[in-house]
Amino acid sequence: MSRKRHRLVPETFGLKRRRELGDVEADPLRCESGSAREAVAEIVRLFPRVLFEDALPPIALRSQVYSLVPDRTVADRQLKALQEQGEIRIVQLGFDLDAQGIMFTEDYRTRVYDCVLKACDGRPYAAAVQKFLASVLPACGDLSFQQDQMTQTFGFRDPEITQLVKAGVLTVRDAGSWWLAVPGAGRFIKYFVKGRRAVLSMVRKAKYRELLLSELLGRRAPASVQLGLAYHVHDLIGAQLVDCVSTTSGTLLRLPET
Amino acid sequence: MLGFLSARQAGLEDPLRLRRAESTRRVLGLELNKDRDVERIHCSGVNTLDIEPVEGRYMLSGGSDGVIVLYDLENSSRQPYYTCKAVCSVGRSHPDVHKYSVETVQWYPHDTGMFTSSSFDKTLKVWDTNTLQIADVFNFEETVYSHHMSPVATKHCLVAVGTRGPKVQLCDLKSGSCSHILQGHRQEILAVSWSPRYEYILATASADSRAKLWDVRRASGCLITLDQHNGKKSQAVESANTAHNGKVNGLCFTSDGLHLLTVGTDNRMRLWNSSNGENTLVNYGKVYNDSRKGLKFTVSSGCSSEFVFVPYGSTIAVYTIYSGEQITMLKGHYKTVDCCVFQSNFQNTELFSSRAIRDKAKILIQVF
Repeated sequence: MSRKRHRLVPETFGLKRRRELGDVEADPLRCESGSAREAVAEIVRLFPRVLFEDALPPIALRSQVYSLVPDRTVADRQLKALQEQGEIRIVQLGFDLDAQGIMFTEDYRTRVYDCVLKACDGRPYAAAVQKFLASVLPACGDLSFQQDQMTQTFGFRDPEITQLVKAGVLTVRDAGSWWLAVPGAGRFIKYFVKGRRAVLSMVRKAKYRELLLSELLGRRAPASVQLGLAYHVHDLIGAQLVDCVSTTSGTLLRLPET
Repeated sequence: MLGFLSARQAGLEDPLRLRRAESTRRVLGLELNKDRDVERIHCSGVNTLDIEPVEGRYMLSGGSDGVIVLYDLENSSRQPYYTCKAVCSVGRSHPDVHKYSVETVQWYPHDTGMFTSSSFDKTLKVWDTNTLQIADVFNFEETVYSHHMSPVATKHCLVAVGTRGPKVQLCDLKSGSCSHILQGHRQEILAVSWSPRYEYILATASADSRAKLWDVRRASGCLITLDQHNGKKSQAVESANTAHNGKVNGLCFTSDGLHLLTVGTDNRMRLWNSSNGENTLVNYGKVYNDSRKGLKFTVSSGCSSEFVFVPYGSTIAVYTIYSGEQITMLKGHYKTVDCCVFQSNFQNTELFSSRAIRDKAKILIQVF
């Protein structure tokens, strides 16, 4: 009898009212063991490398991780732990303060090394970028860097920092602080924003503004969707731009009323 | 539930556990109450509600027309269907009524003899409840968005006032004048709240995306500016710290004062550790918020896992505070909900919510 007593109170009273989330395995998007690292790996598999000719590291978005890992707080904590261990890097994508890109550190380092140094061999900023990749990246896992940190801890002078910004590795955030950036990510962001808008309009144009997920994935992608329908659908679900309703015919995506 | 009761009877359980279990069960069972209603006095939207902390029997409401009404919530008739009657009101014909919309009303924390109200007509008025006359008026240069008086203060009688200007004014009720100003924000102050744990700690939220914690005894500035990224804390970057990516609309301390919840127009709600200003990174998902002034939300007290009730469009969303999961959405209003207050009382646990802007009545939500 004392074993019953120690269940958490909300479990005793609240959950009976909620319907069980039915057949999870039939759903193509939700079959996830619940770990953030596997979610990022899954999205990275969906990323179209061919489109960018291997110049960009495969980027996953935070909202896509939320769609694969059902509990957001747990996903956040796991991502933070991965960031602290140095396995992933989080980057602020410019178009929305909420949208953060996640990449494996290895991918980031190899791609930036290859493409930036290839592009700027002989240019003045090659040395600054090499120094940055060698010293700053392994040491500091944050999204942003401050003036005193760059000058005192890592020994960068102002002209060197300007060269880093020109190379595309840093983006200006505020006077004296910079975001970490991916060089050449502009094309990715352009395709992403266009594709997101196109997939949302596909749902909006449907009758009653709702679409079955299987039907949406089965449709031909319009020309503005270059990154793949599945990639965008994960992002829309995780960013709560569409509501996910489970029905007997599968998951239904519906535009929220507000 | 019977198991809990019999264990309590036999002495196997702590009395507090039974109380918490019952409070949690009631909160999880909240629904729109069809039997109780609140009398309609306001002709336009209701902006703010406050229930007195002493008995939980009287409720004040402030409307967009400047009218303040006092209701008696106790059901002394024997019937289940009951309308909460208005005891008295400061109507449009009252000589000292506010000229424009009343934004915040608050009972005096220690008894029901006095209450304060602040409004867009740039005044904060202190009323005597029994005679319904003004005891004092504080005039400001800008419209007042919000005010709050500390519920635990014994050594001071300061009312913190947030106005359209960037300075937080502290008015002293004993002396009748503004005692000092807190500088640090850059745009209008949309919400202020005293800590329920320490009588000198104040939290303010502003349209410049910053939320600050102050100790009002300290002259040099705020204690902490909340930073959503939990970045490195150095003096040079205090200016870049933002609590939200949009305006910070509402503030609420948890009932033990150890955590602070903020909502912002970036549709996010964040939970902060109030002692060191750290973002606990609990993710509540999208908390839709497009209010241009403050949003008043509330937390439960006395449950085993605390809940927060936030107006979400025309519904009220209920979340567990520390884990971030959404429990339910309470539907009952037709238009946007502006404010809700929670009361857990002897037999009933009630959540009152009010609608603003073109919508009239309040609907009472009660557990069965």
